[in-house]
Amino acid sequence: MNKFLSLENVNVNYGNFKALNNINFEMNAGELIFITGANGSGKSTFIKTIAGLIKIASGKILKPSKIAYVPQIETADRDFPATVFEIVITGMQRPRKLFYTRQDKQEAMKIINALGLENLVTRKLNTLSGGQYRRVFLARALCGKPELLLLDEPCAGLDIKSHRDFYDILAKINSDGTAIMIVTHDKGDFNEINYNRIIEISDGRILN
Amino acid sequence: MAEFLELLNYGFVIRALIAGALISICASVIGVILVLKHYSLIGHGLSEIGFASLSIAAALNLPYMLVSIPLMILSAFGILFVSQKFKSSGDNAIAIASTGALALGILINSLNNTGANIFSYLFGSVLAMSENDFWVSIILSILILAVYIIFYNRIFLTTYNSEYARSLGINSTFYDALISILTAFIVVAGMRITGTLLISGIIILPAMTAKNFSGGFLRITIIAGIISFLTFTAGIFLSLAFNTPAGAGIILVNIILMALIFIFKHHDR
Repeated sequence: MNKFLSLENVNVNYGNFKALNNINFEMNAGELIFITGANGSGKSTFIKTIAGLIKIASGKILKPSKIAYVPQIETADRDFPATVFEIVITGMQRPRKLFYTRQDKQEAMKIINALGLENLVTRKLNTLSGGQYRRVFLARALCGKPELLLLDEPCAGLDIKSHRDFYDILAKINSDGTAIMIVTHDKGDFNEINYNRIIEISDGRILN
Repeated sequence: MAEFLELLNYGFVIRALIAGALISICASVIGVILVLKHYSLIGHGLSEIGFASLSIAAALNLPYMLVSIPLMILSAFGILFVSQKFKSSGDNAIAIASTGALALGILINSLNNTGANIFSYLFGSVLAMSENDFWVSIILSILILAVYIIFYNRIFLTTYNSEYARSLGINSTFYDALISILTAFIVVAGMRITGTLLISGIIILPAMTAKNFSGGFLRITIIAGIISFLTFTAGIFLSLAFNTPAGAGIILVNIILMALIFIFKHHDR
């Protein structure tokens, strides 16, 4: 197995507060890892740091070039006037590329079909169910053909069936070779999918 | 009706209609972004800074665009910086900057006794647009629309979720700055139509009305542009019919339309 993600002595500070404290961590290609911990423990900071959204104060991170991050659903504005297709296609954006190609649009449609969203492409976000809404953001993340998929509380607030359906989709994506890291505070999620490891974070440190 | 059609024979009316319609469409397109990003107050803040810049230009006897454009761009950056850095007190900062700018403008204006000229900028005089103003407005409008179209996909993404944009390696701060510059251009170009006191209305109102319609971002933006064009045209003809300032008519038509659409949308609930 190739070690394709590693964090060495990584520290992240919010002012005087140490959000991540001397983190050492490695992940192999194709692994599925849960990140868990109490509210405010640093688990979201951990994956945001890997996603490159938070600057590290010190340490070293080696990571694959294609990482997709699916933020917590609460951070998204549900009443924003956007259709499913308008949101999913944004996953095709890259630095120094301003326009979508025909191929981008075709690939986005392929992913939309694979996630069962084909009848919803022109629907506005605020008309979707919780499960459909999550799948839209997953589809957007998959547009970048990621080697590593980072999901922050992807199933919070979903009913049991949507929860299970969502994990079935993640299992399929993982079986196709994509490494997945899922942040959750719900230990019930561990029963929904085959995983390699559970990492527990507390006070900005990895416990195990 | 025949009298109105006769007015179309006058060059100044045609100039006003073409430049005003283009600026209104640009304003509404940028307005959609400002409304969705909850930056509506930026347009208002900039408009009053625009008044100060006009007063300075009049006092120094310089072309107003020459003074307004750099000053407005600097102010737009300043407002954006304060809004992002001190989120909770961003509105307060805009209120301080805008009232301060208005006071400064009035002071400079009264010291230099340039009242009549400044009055037209406060309340607008699109029908008195000079040929020079006309061409500057056309060039600014085309520039704004071209930049908007070129960066449309980026603007959509950063308006929707700047954090996600950053995760893709896209510099969302650059696009926030770009929107601020475009807003500054709109305010400078639009000061002739509604005056600095009402310019934020033609930026924000069509966007807010368009939000009542169904559809995605592109559809809402196109609807805002159409509303802006129609309300501008209606406002101009009202001003010609009743000999009132065009800006006031345009804003009131916008508000009446917004109220009608709101009532129509909610009457069954």
